[in-house]
Amino acid sequence: MLAGLVLAIVAGSLVSLQNVFNSKVNERAGSWTTTTLVLGMGFLASLVCGLLFEGEKLWEWRNMQPWYWFSGLIGVGVVTCLVQGIRLLGPTLAVSIALTSQLSFALLWDSLGWMGLTQVPFTWKQLSGVLVVIVGMLVFKWGGQKKSQEWSKAT
Amino acid sequence: MGERELKGILFAFFAGAFLTLQGVANARISYDIGTWQAATLTQLTGFVAALFVLLASRRANWQALRQVKPLYRFGGAFAAVIIFGNVFAIQQIGVTLTISTLLIAQLGLTFLIDSKGWFGVKKQQVTWPHVVGIGLMIAGVVILKA
Repeated sequence: MLAGLVLAIVAGSLVSLQNVFNSKVNERAGSWTTTTLVLGMGFLASLVCGLLFEGEKLWEWRNMQPWYWFSGLIGVGVVTCLVQGIRLLGPTLAVSIALTSQLSFALLWDSLGWMGLTQVPFTWKQLSGVLVVIVGMLVFKWGGQKKSQEWSKAT
Repeated sequence: MGERELKGILFAFFAGAFLTLQGVANARISYDIGTWQAATLTQLTGFVAALFVLLASRRANWQALRQVKPLYRFGGAFAAVIIFGNVFAIQQIGVTLTISTLLIAQLGLTFLIDSKGWFGVKKQQVTWPHVVGIGLMIAGVVILKA
C-alpha cells in the first residue's frame, strides 16, 4: 500500500519536471519534434533500465499479444488531443476538462476491472473521494489563475 | 456554445480518457511481458508513430534542438521511471488512487516550481485557492483510502 503511494508520488513529481523540460524544448522546436524527441528518450531510458535490471530476460516476452505493439499509439493520441484542446479552449479549461475526464475514467476502470485489472468495487465513498479530488483540482486551476492574473494586472 | 468550444471539449475529454487508458494498458502489458519490457515497447512504438507524423508534416526542426539547454533535452528519459512507478502503483492500489495521488504530486511540484521561478519559468504568486485546492485533493485521497 505505502510503496504504491510513494511510487505514485515519485511518478507525479517526475511528470511535473518532465512537463517543465518538455515545454522548454517545445518553445523552440514545436510540438511534434518535441514529442518525437521525448518518446525517443523514453525508449532509450527504458531500454537501458531494462537491460540493467533484467539483462537477457528483457527479450523474453512470454505472453505477448499482437495489440501490445500498438499501445504506444495511445501516447500519440494524448498529445494530439491535448494540443488541439489547448489550441481551441486555452490551457486552463482544456487541462481542467482532461484531468476531470482522466479521474472519472479511472473510477470507471476500477469499478469495471477492464483488461484483467483487479476490480475495485464501486462505492459511494470512492465516488465522493474522486469528486473532492476533482473539486480541489478545479479550485487550484481556476481560483489560482484568476488571482494571479489580477495580481499581474495590478503590478 | 460554438463549434469551436464543442470540438475543444471533445479533444480535452479524449485526452483525459487516453491518459487513463495509457496507464491501464501499461499495467496490463506489464502483467504479461514485464514492466521494463512494456515501457521499452510502448515508448518505441510511440516514438516510431510520432516520427512518422513529424516526417509527414515536414515540420521536423532538429536544428532548433541545439538552442535548447542539454538538460532539458533529456526530460523524456524520466518516462522510464514514470511508467515503472505508475504500473507498480496501479497494480498495488488501483487506478483511481494512483491517478489521484500522482496528480497531487504533479500539481504540487509544478506549483512549487512556479512559485519559486525555478528553471527560469515565469514566477507566479502563491494564492489561497492554490493551497485550498491541493488541500482538497489530499482530503479526497484520504477519503478514497479510508
